[in-house]
Formats: sequence, C-alpha cells, structure tokens
Amino acid sequence: MKETNEVEILIVEDNPNDAEMALRALKKNNLTNNVLVVNDGADALDFFFGRGKYENIKNNIRPKVVLLDLKLPKVDGLEVLREIKSNERTKMIPVVVLTSSKEESDMVESYKLGVNSYIVKPVDFDKFVDAVRDLGMYWLLLNELP
Amino acid sequence: MMKEASRKLIYPFVLAFVLLFACSPILHADTMTSHDTIVIASEPDYPPYCFIDENGNAAGFAIDLFLAAAKTVDLEVEIRIGIWSKIKQDLAEGKIDALPLVGRTPERKANYDFTLAYMSLHGAVFVRKETQDVLSLEDLKHKSVLVMKGDNAEEFVRREAISKNIVTTNTFEEAFRSLSKGNHDAVITQRIMGINLLKEMKIKNVKALDFNMPEFRQDFCFAVKKGDTELLSRLNEGLSTVIANDSYEKIRYDWFGPDEGGKLSAMDAFLFSLNILIPLIILMAIAMIVILRKEVRKQTHDLKKEIDGHKKTLDSLHKQNLLLNEMEKITSIGGWEYDVKSKRVSWTDGAYPIHGLSKDDYDPADYKSDISFFSQEDQHILDKAFKRALDTGKSYNLELRLKTPAGVEKWVRTIGHAELTHGKVTRLYGNIADISESKTIHDELGSREKQNRLLLNSTAEGIYGIDMNGKCTFCNAAALNILGYEKENDVIGKNMHDLIHHSHHDGSPFPRESCKIFLAFKEGKETHSDEEVLWRANGTLFHAEYFSHPIVEKDIVRGAVVTFWDISERKMAREELLILKDSLETQVIQRTAELQKKIQTLDKSQKAMLYMIEDLNEITAELKKKRRELEAANRELEAFTYSVSHDLRAPLRAIAGFSNFIYEDYAEKLDDEGKRLLDVIRNNVLKMDRLILDMLNLSRISRTDMRMAETDMKAIIESLLLDVVSPEIKKQFTVKVGDLPKAVSDVNLIKQVWQNLIENAFKYSSRSEKKAIEIGSEQTEDELIYYIKDHGAGFDPAYAHKLFGVFQRLHREEDFEGTGIGLAIVQRIVHRHSGRVWAEGKEGKGACFYFSLPRKTGIINME
Repeated sequence: MKETNEVEILIVEDNPNDAEMALRALKKNNLTNNVLVVNDGADALDFFFGRGKYENIKNNIRPKVVLLDLKLPKVDGLEVLREIKSNERTKMIPVVVLTSSKEESDMVESYKLGVNSYIVKPVDFDKFVDAVRDLGMYWLLLNELP
Repeated sequence: MMKEASRKLIYPFVLAFVLLFACSPILHADTMTSHDTIVIASEPDYPPYCFIDENGNAAGFAIDLFLAAAKTVDLEVEIRIGIWSKIKQDLAEGKIDALPLVGRTPERKANYDFTLAYMSLHGAVFVRKETQDVLSLEDLKHKSVLVMKGDNAEEFVRREAISKNIVTTNTFEEAFRSLSKGNHDAVITQRIMGINLLKEMKIKNVKALDFNMPEFRQDFCFAVKKGDTELLSRLNEGLSTVIANDSYEKIRYDWFGPDEGGKLSAMDAFLFSLNILIPLIILMAIAMIVILRKEVRKQTHDLKKEIDGHKKTLDSLHKQNLLLNEMEKITSIGGWEYDVKSKRVSWTDGAYPIHGLSKDDYDPADYKSDISFFSQEDQHILDKAFKRALDTGKSYNLELRLKTPAGVEKWVRTIGHAELTHGKVTRLYGNIADISESKTIHDELGSREKQNRLLLNSTAEGIYGIDMNGKCTFCNAAALNILGYEKENDVIGKNMHDLIHHSHHDGSPFPRESCKIFLAFKEGKETHSDEEVLWRANGTLFHAEYFSHPIVEKDIVRGAVVTFWDISERKMAREELLILKDSLETQVIQRTAELQKKIQTLDKSQKAMLYMIEDLNEITAELKKKRRELEAANRELEAFTYSVSHDLRAPLRAIAGFSNFIYEDYAEKLDDEGKRLLDVIRNNVLKMDRLILDMLNLSRISRTDMRMAETDMKAIIESLLLDVVSPEIKKQFTVKVGDLPKAVSDVNLIKQVWQNLIENAFKYSSRSEKKAIEIGSEQTEDELIYYIKDHGAGFDPAYAHKLFGVFQRLHREEDFEGTGIGLAIVQRIVHRHSGRVWAEGKEGKGACFYFSLPRKTGIINME
C-alpha cells in the first residue's frame, strides 16, 4: 500500500477484476503513481475523514482524482459522493463515477450531488483504456486545483 | 252550713235578677222559634251541681235546673259528659249549645254569654288536716297549689298570683287525691262542691279552711256561645219562669234538703223570712209581672199583626190602581161601566185621554153625551150594539171612528160585556182602546203587501210559499207561468209536492219525506238543489234549480219560500260539456298510457345506462387494479434491469478485459489459432454486451415518462443522416427526404424510431445494387403517416407479423448483423404514441416501413 498522504488516485471498487483492469488501464497510460484501491464505501469514507485505519492521514492531503464505483458494499457510491461533496474540506476533490450502470436516475443523482465526471465502464477493454487515459490526462495532468 | 249556703245562694242571684229585668230589653217572642233541641255538656265531678250518677247519667242541681228551665221554653236537651276543659272548649267552638254550670269570670266573657246567675258560691282552700301554717291566702305564696285546669279557681289563682307554684289537674278528683297523698300543699276550689266531692271520694285527711276569699266568689250561670243571643234569651226566660213558679225551690230542696227549718229560732225565722221569703215574694211578684207583660206583649203583637194585614191589603190595592193607571197610559186603553139601575156611566182614568178629555172637565155619566164623540154613522152602530147588550146580554167588539173636541180623529176599539144577575142585565162594562196607530200600521201593511206582490210578480224566478203542511200560501206570476197554470187559485192551498214535485225525471215516485223543499222547514235551514225536475200542469217536466228558505217567526218555523227556475237549457249545455269532457278524458287516458309506456322505455334505458355505468365502474376498478399491478411489475423490472446492467455486464467486462490481457501479455506464446479463438471470445462478449444494452433500452422505453412536444421530423432526420451514417456509405446512397409535417411527440423517443429505421434501411441495402432510400409522409383525416422505403433485402410478407417481435430476425446474423430488438423498440415507441406501425416488402425487392401518429395527440397510450 502506498503512503496515504501521497495518494494521487483513489479507486473505490469492490470488484477485484474491475480494479485490476482499472489499474492496468492506468498503467498503460503511465498513470500508476500513488494509486490506492479501497474495496467499499465505508473504507473510502474512513480514508477521506481520517478514521479507522486511516487515522494518521494528514488532513490536507487530497487525491488528485477519485474513481468511484456506485454499486458498493456497506456504503454505496452515491452516499460516498454525497459525503465528499458536502464536506468543505473534501468537496474540491474531483470525483469521477466509473460504473457499469447506465441508469439515468444514477447519472442524474450523481450530477446533482456534484460529481465531476460520469463514465460508464465499457465492456470492450480497449475502450476502457481509452476512457481511463482521457480522464487521467484531464484530471491528473491538465486540471489545476485551486 | 247549708243555711249559710242557701242565703249566699239566693242573695246575689236575686239582686242580679231584679237588675236584669229592670233594664233588660223586651224579648221578642217571634225570634224564639229555633233550637228545639239543644246539646249541653256536663262535668262529671262537680257534685252536687254536676256529676255522674250510679247509672252513668249526668245529674246534679245545675242539670236539673237547666232541664226545668229548658222545658218551660219548649227546649229538648241532649246532655253529653266531658271534662271541664274539653266541654268549655266545645262551647267556645260551637260544638255544643250551652253549659249548665259556668262561673262568670271576666276571662270567660270573651267567649261566652251568660244568663242571669242562679246561684253564687264561694271558694275555699283545702289542705290536709295536719296543715297548720295556712291561715290566709298570703300563706299560700310558697305552697304548691293544685287547681283544676280551666276552672274558675285556676283563673283566680293566676289572676291574683296566689302562689308561685300552681299545679293543674284535669279533674278535681285528681287534685284531691294528689293533695291527700301529700304531693302538694293545697287545693283551691268551690267550697260546697269540694266538701261533697271529698265525701264521695271518702277522703278523710283533707279539710276546708274557714277563711273566706271575697275575690273568689263565683256567680254561676248557664252559658251559651258568645253571640247566641237567641238561645240566651230563651234560657233567661226559662230560668226566670222556673224561679218564679217554685220549680227552683223544689229542685233546690231535692238537692240540698230543707233548710233545717225546725231547728230555726224565732230570730232565725225572722231573719230567714227577711232574708229569703221577702226576696222570694218580691221575686215572684216580679215574675208575675214578667208573665203579665209577656201576655200583654203577645196581645199587642196580634193586634199589630192584624192592622198590618189590613194595611198591606190597602197598599196592594193602591198599588194595583196605580199600575192600572200606568198601564192605561201606556196602552191607551180606558175602562167604562154602565150601571143599569142608576143609568150612569163611569170611566177609568184611561178613558178620558182617548176622548181628548180631562177628568176634571168632563163627567161621563150621561151615555148619550158619551157616544156623541163618535162619528155619525158609528154612533148608530155603537148605540145599536149597546142596546142589544142591554136587552140580550150579548157582548160586542167594534172598531169605530171617534173625534175629540179638539178635532183629532181616531180609530178606537170598544168592547162591551154584560153582567147578569138572576138572568137580568145589571151592569154593562168594557173598555175602549185607541187603535189609530195599529190601524195605520195595518193600512201600511196593506200597501206594502201590494208592493211585495208587485215585486214578486215582476221577478223571472218562480216563487211560492208553503205552510207547514206543504200547502201553497202564495205564488207569483212567474211561478204560474213556468209551471203552466193560469190562475193563482189553481195552486194556492194545494200540496206543492204532490202538484209539481211528485216524481223523479224517470217517472219513479218522489216521496215527500225525501223532498229537500220540506227539509227547509223540517231542519230550519235553507236547502238547494239543481238536480231535480218539476212537473208542469200539462204533465211535462223540466229541470229546475230551487232554493227553499224557511220562514221563521220568533224562532218558530212557519213554512218555507221556494224560489225556482227552469234550467233545462243549462242542463243540456252541461251534458254536452260532460260528453266533451268524457272524450277529453279518454284522450287524456290514452296519452297518459302512451307517455307511461315511453317513461317505462326510458326507465329501461336508464336502467341499462345504470348497468353500463356499473360495468364501467367495475372495469375502471379492474383497470386501476391492473395498473397498480403493472406499476408493481414495472418497479420489479426496474430493479431487474438495474441489476442486469450492473451485475451482468461486470463479468462480461472481465472476460473481455482478461482475454485482452492474455492477448497482450502472451502474444508471443500464442499462435494464430490461439489469437483467433481469443477474438471469438471477445466478439461474443461484445455482442452480448450489445444485447444487454438493447434490452435495457427497450425496457427503459416502456418505463420512462413521455414528454410531448412539437417535433420537427425533418430536422431530426437530417441530423440523424449526419450522425448515424458515415459519409462514405452515405455517398453510395441516393437519399430522398420528402415533405414531413411536424408532429406532437416525445422527441427523444421519436428520434430513436427514426434512428432504428434509418439504420435498418442502410444496413439492409448494403448488399443491394440499388442504393436508394426515400423518406416521406402521407396524411389522413386523423393520422400522420411517415414511411421510409429502401430497395434492400426486403422480407417475405408471410413473416411480416414477426418483424416487430423481440429477438425476431428474418435474416441470418452472417448476412446482416443485429440483435433483433430494433424494430421491437420502434413498435413500442409508436404504440406509446397511440400510433400504428407496419411494413410492406418482398424478399429481395426492398421494404417500406410505416408508422403513424394520431393527429390528436392528447390521448397518450400508457402501455
């Protein structure tokens, strides 16, 4: 596990295959620095708010982007999104929903909660890699945070 | 002791008696009529004056005296017995009439009236023999003194405040018994009675003290209820009579024995004669005087009565005379009398004014002069009648004309009767009355009757009168005319029912009893009919209306007046009207029946409607239920599709991704066949992913809400042609887009329809030689029809119905790739717009797909 205060990309994903593919896609685009994968929503929230095993995390360290699956055990993705976006300290962190669901209701709800991007995971891995590349390029390299 | 008592008994009594008669008013005999039986009451224990003898009867001196006195004035006496306080009360309340033995005290005068006193007794103080310390009344101050309740003694001791400790008993016996036993110190009561009572009670240890009590000297009288002066007078009279005629002395002797005369000394005899006899003689003399006075009074009374009778007769005679005069004045009648013997006429007062004469100026004695006041011819008539009466005794009654000296002409009625003695006329008498007024009235009546008759005859209605027997008393001209008679006499006196009302119109007899005309005077009220017929003289009938009005004089019905007229014409008109009315009624009934039928039909329709509404309601309810079920199913489906899109695609992604990893990481180890197999896997995964996406799409179409808006079809198609088809392919095709009217639809959904149809058209034309696509529209009255026509692979029309089914494909996958959902989506969307979708085509000859949208898009298919 990386040092949490150096985390640049946080992947919240319960499916290990999907997580692996995401990591591989990032790797293909040379974006593997400081990636952290957490397996459920509760873990994700612990990370953001320095609870549980992330007690020692420095408050001012923020990942450059969060890739958030919606269908998660314990606390689901939309709830995690709501918590992040309703907290003054974390609301600036870019969150990209990366999900299998193309459901309109999920999409609408995510944007209402302040998601920065909504990507439906393509079954075709090539397209998946393309998508990851695009978002990595944007959020990690181009986007300037205040 | 007895002598002393007698003396004391008589003195005050005589004195009172003399005083009483000297100044008492004369008693009127005629007021003494009632009280034939009176009720008195006696005490049981006041011997020897009032007590109960061995037989249980009241006895005693007072009783005997009372009975004797009552007898002389014819009074029967009933004696009751009761204790003193009770009987005293009874008299005050009027329950009894008198008491024989009552001491006169100031207290009692309020409730009773007393006769003259017949004896006077002194009281005494009784003590036990051993008592030494009572020498005067003052010594009783601190003693316990017994008296009988309500007795004079009680009144006395209380009045004089003899003792501070006064005890009352109900009887004297009780008092003495109590004293004897030592319970109290003294008894105060009447001396003689007390000694007698002690003797009777055989009480030996009680004695009467010798000192006198001047304040307790008692005059005894009979008493009556206050105000009963009548009984009081009678008792006084009886009592004085008894005293006067020795009865008193006898009774006294019976009760108290001789005054021990034998033992009297000369001085005593002298004193006795002085004290007793002389007053007695005086008394008797007075009584004699009383009796004499009474006789004189009676005689005077009788005389007075007789004089009164005469006076009354005179009075009434005078009154009658006054009455006669008064009556004569009022009625203008005078009386006269002719005495045959003296040949003189005399008049009563009333006769003068009739002749216009004054009693003072005229003497009617001369018959000749008297008749000169009559008119010449009437003098003759009167003279004749007068003479005949004188000769034969026959009465006369004449109406004659008379002229007063002042020239006033009058009608008078003069009546004469003869008085016969032994068959000879001794006197003529009679009266004369001024009848001018009634004569005038009579004349007036005559002319009024004429008027009435004229009136009667000038009316058009027939009018006739009938008496109580139903006989005609009068009838007018119209009645004769209507009934067809010529003369009044044809109907007058005849029974009108029998004459004109005898039968009903059908000839059946009409009994008198049920005739309404007679009913008028039977019941005394007006009757009316317009339903009967009357019969003419010639035997024909006519319908008549009549009123029968009772003639009532002084509350007695004398007959009836009948007014009638011929109503034959009216009757006929009415019958015609009735016929008309009948036919109208029939029509009304007919119409009503028709209307009712219609109403029934309407009712049925209404019922049918109601049933329909009920059905509709049921259907609506069913639909609602179905809809709820559908909504539930939709929610289920939503959950299902959600999990499909998530959970089904994740493994697909993994398969695709990881086969890719094999491809990348182990490329050098894989031969071509290995790589081909990986490709197959990858392609199938992608195809499955497409299938899943299409299915999700289809389900979403059914679920999403429609947002209807004006839709520019042409713009949609032009943008689709740019987006869906690559420019290279497009270059190969001739695409013709015709006139497309705007529609009202959900733009996104309609866009999908066109996209699927356009994709299909290009796809299925890809292998054809002729690459031409035509998009156009048609319009009918209620639909907008759009179509897209190609010259591609076409289809076998036999399977046209399968075109729009889910996963239904008419071509092989190798020929034209696809999931078989596109047209299903098209159909679903069009149906949701309440439109239709269909296709025409032939295998190899191209196809044309149509869909229509209703012009009125207000109705949205919810399916």
